[in-house]
Amino acid sequence: MKRWRAILGNTAAVATLAILLTTPFLYGWFQKGVAALDLRIDPQYTGGEVARVIQREGYQVVVRKPVPRRTPLQRVDPFVQMTWTPAAKLPAQVSDEIDLDGDGRPDLLVTFDTTHLKLDVTPRNAGYRAVRCSGVVSFSELIARVNDGIVVRVPLR
Amino acid sequence: MPERTLRAAPRSWGKSLLLTLPILLWSLLMFSRAAMQPGRAPKLAAAVTLLLMAALFFQMVRTFETHRWRRYFFVALGFLFPIGFIWDLVALRGSMSIPVERMLSGDTPFCFIVIPMMIVPAALLGTIVFPGSVLATASNPHAISAMVALWLVATLLLGKGWCSYGCFFGGIEEGFAAVAKKPRIKKLDARLRWMPWAVLATVVLLTAALLEPVYCTWLCPFKAVTEYLQVRSFETAFQAGIFAVLFLGLVVVLPLVTKKRTQCSFLCPFGAFQSLFNKTSAFDVRIDRSKCQPCVLCEKACPTLSIGAESLESGKPRLSCMKCGACVDACVRGAVVWHIKGTPVGTSAERARLMHLYSAWGFAVLFGGGIIANTLAKLFGLLV
Repeated sequence: MKRWRAILGNTAAVATLAILLTTPFLYGWFQKGVAALDLRIDPQYTGGEVARVIQREGYQVVVRKPVPRRTPLQRVDPFVQMTWTPAAKLPAQVSDEIDLDGDGRPDLLVTFDTTHLKLDVTPRNAGYRAVRCSGVVSFSELIARVNDGIVVRVPLR
Repeated sequence: MPERTLRAAPRSWGKSLLLTLPILLWSLLMFSRAAMQPGRAPKLAAAVTLLLMAALFFQMVRTFETHRWRRYFFVALGFLFPIGFIWDLVALRGSMSIPVERMLSGDTPFCFIVIPMMIVPAALLGTIVFPGSVLATASNPHAISAMVALWLVATLLLGKGWCSYGCFFGGIEEGFAAVAKKPRIKKLDARLRWMPWAVLATVVLLTAALLEPVYCTWLCPFKAVTEYLQVRSFETAFQAGIFAVLFLGLVVVLPLVTKKRTQCSFLCPFGAFQSLFNKTSAFDVRIDRSKCQPCVLCEKACPTLSIGAESLESGKPRLSCMKCGACVDACVRGAVVWHIKGTPVGTSAERARLMHLYSAWGFAVLFGGGIIANTLAKLFGLLV
């Protein structure tokens, strides 16, 4: 028994060295293996899955699915995210009525100025909160320039 | 193979060179890509790092001492990592602080300390509660999948050896711990060693409950020398203050006066988590009770309170042992030895040490060596 344990131990020691030496060459595979777990970045950072894209003249509004509260202690309030893109093609003052759920009726009136990022959101639906802010108030209430777009997050009721 | 004792003469130059040859070849292979980059600075940096890694390994082989030489690499890694990291941040976004806008676009570089915190939300919700990218992007090369893959391999094989050969943060406090000749505070309450476990349990539960990386947001001392959330409110200012105080206290002042890695011993939840993987590693450190006359030199030398009276009784250090080799180097009777699990303690200890060193140093060249070479290339770029 002792002999077998020693053989196993020595085999594991040699295997350790062998695996570490092959790591740089198999690294891409290891990485793909981790990526294949299909884990996603939490929607409080990404804004959630894309629900629909609304085409406007010269630009588009990417509407994402609402991000609900998932634990009772979560500090980020539920919100919905919209992205106006490309930012360069937006007029100085944007005023859009947005149908978030695709029922044909507008849910929000979103107005902002693209230079100073001053946001004014008037809900047309009781499920959303009114917002009047500039920049980032919290993860659920903000207007920010992100990459090539302007991101707006509106808290849910 | 000669076993190390107080009187062991250094290994011959020829044998030491021969035993260093595999690491030299490995280093050549690892740094060849850096040497092919345009400009003289990357080539020079690769050459300097290669020589450093090979020379230190040679000394470990020749003198039979591990910790003493490993520490030069580890401290260099600890101090060069923040320089290179901050350099990149400033080049990329002009500041060490990360604004929310960057977090929304997934541009936060991933840090391995998040790993234990992300497991519960990933298992329950399938999401990673960290504002990074799963795959590398142009604006965020520090992808989650890359770091997790590397961590997983190194951890399963080296266990808590990660904290001695891979953790660039540990190098900073090890550097400060090496400054004083003698500790000013000699007696530390051994019960404090449970603190990282308490912090680990707390941050794992709170992260699952709040769905935010609590340790990174509130407690990580190394935010002071890497990146932190842009100060836009009282809360973010308070967080930045906590980072600075913890860094000064646990990473600078306490290591200076205790000669211990106090952040690792009393706070780091990742270190506690890594301890669990000591079970999967083929190597460990043992105390040969037939040779041990409890002089407690090993206990005094251990930077993480991993040896106590019960270790001397059982012949095993505590689970938190990070295989730095300080206790083995300190033992004048050759009673504290490297060991391959399953084999009898004390027989072929030098072979066990070399086997462990080839694996651990191979990883150090791959991971830490790359970081050192990258930062040196930036610094040399200022000169040549």
